[in-house]
Amino acid sequence: MTSPLSFLLALEFPPIENIVEWPAFLFEGTPFAFNKIALGYIFATVATLALFMIAGRRRALVPRGVQNVAEASVDFIQKGIIEQAIGHGGNPFAPFLTAMFFFVFFNNILEVVPGWQMPGNARMAMPMMLGLLITVLFIVVGVRSQGLGGYLKNSLFPPGLPKALYFLVTPIEFISTFLVRPFSLMVRLFANMLAGHILLITFAVLAAALWVASWQAIFLPLPFVMLVGLTGFEIMVAFLQAYIITILAAVFIGGALHPEH
Amino acid sequence: MHNLVLLAAEGPNNPILPATNEIIWGTLAFLVLVVLMSKLAYPSVKSAMDARTEHIRTAIDDADRTRSEAQTVLVDYQRQVADAKGEAARIIEEARQTADNLRRDLTARAEAEAAELRQRNAEQIGAERQRVLAELQGQVATLAIELAEKVVGGSLDQQRSLQLIEDYINTVGTNGAAAPAGAGTETAGAPGSTSSRAAGADPTGGAQA
Repeated sequence: MTSPLSFLLALEFPPIENIVEWPAFLFEGTPFAFNKIALGYIFATVATLALFMIAGRRRALVPRGVQNVAEASVDFIQKGIIEQAIGHGGNPFAPFLTAMFFFVFFNNILEVVPGWQMPGNARMAMPMMLGLLITVLFIVVGVRSQGLGGYLKNSLFPPGLPKALYFLVTPIEFISTFLVRPFSLMVRLFANMLAGHILLITFAVLAAALWVASWQAIFLPLPFVMLVGLTGFEIMVAFLQAYIITILAAVFIGGALHPEH
Repeated sequence: MHNLVLLAAEGPNNPILPATNEIIWGTLAFLVLVVLMSKLAYPSVKSAMDARTEHIRTAIDDADRTRSEAQTVLVDYQRQVADAKGEAARIIEEARQTADNLRRDLTARAEAEAAELRQRNAEQIGAERQRVLAELQGQVATLAIELAEKVVGGSLDQQRSLQLIEDYINTVGTNGAAAPAGAGTETAGAPGSTSSRAAGADPTGGAQA
């Protein structure tokens, strides 16, 4: 009943591990075991680089196609994210933020690519690494711009409060800045993509199950319409989650760079 | 819910815990991407965009400068045209004035010349008249004496008769233009030749008057 192809194309509703865990097809049994998720990461890297390399080589006065996409996104990240969230001194982070936006977006959008249908960020590995990386980055930026003491003082002891309140505020600030931030970053991305993935699989499998020559087939349009609608919704989510993690990273970096704001 | 708890407890195959191989590949891929983006891909796009911005700014600056130059040239040109118009008007006015002056000069000079000519003519005619009168006077006197001598038959004292005649002529002369005619009637017995000769000389005097 279940062929490998129907598994690869997510036509069957498999056990929960099977919809997110993919067998390795290279270096199996080693820590470098290479599976569909790892291939998705490579794809996201290559696609982002290709987009920018091609755009950088064209250099037409009036941009079109790929060049237009790359330049519009550079402009968007520059004006919509860096200038808004970081402000002065934010330009050095532009390549990092751009790379992160596209890496997350391409990993997410694989969720709706026919035949692939697996978002890399529905696995905890990448959201966790990004959350930790962003946390390390904004701590390093804060220490470098304000000094270790200055950064800790500014982030743990917000000015203008009665001294007694610091017994309450400082632990809360510590937890919110150094623990909740990375945790919320990773869980937000991971949970959104996993939930979307499960939703799409649910309606796809439901529609497939109703593709039968009996009276139950009259219900087929319902899950199919849901599937079509959710696919569009997930395209939006893929973009939105990439945007959210990028702008949050910028906000955290900006806060570490300019504590006065 | 029970299933989720079971899943979370399952260990290495737990779907919500990160897998080591995916952490390694993902981190590697992302770091490679960040490095290549920072060093290579992003700067090339950014520099292309900056170059375009610069190009457009230069083009706009050029256009602004060209326009202001054109404006200057236009103002200059308009000023030159206005100057030329003013100059032309001035030249025409000057020419008109010169012509006016010339005309007035010429008229004045012509009038002066005409007046002078008239004056000279009058003088000449006056002098001629005087001369003719004097001549006539002499001839009349001589004729009168001759006539008187013939009539009287005797000789009058030449000196005395000349004096008489002179007085008479002078009396006639003071009576103006009519004198010769008067003389003619008064000397009714006198030869008509005298009268006609005096009248012949008269029209010049009449024209003169």
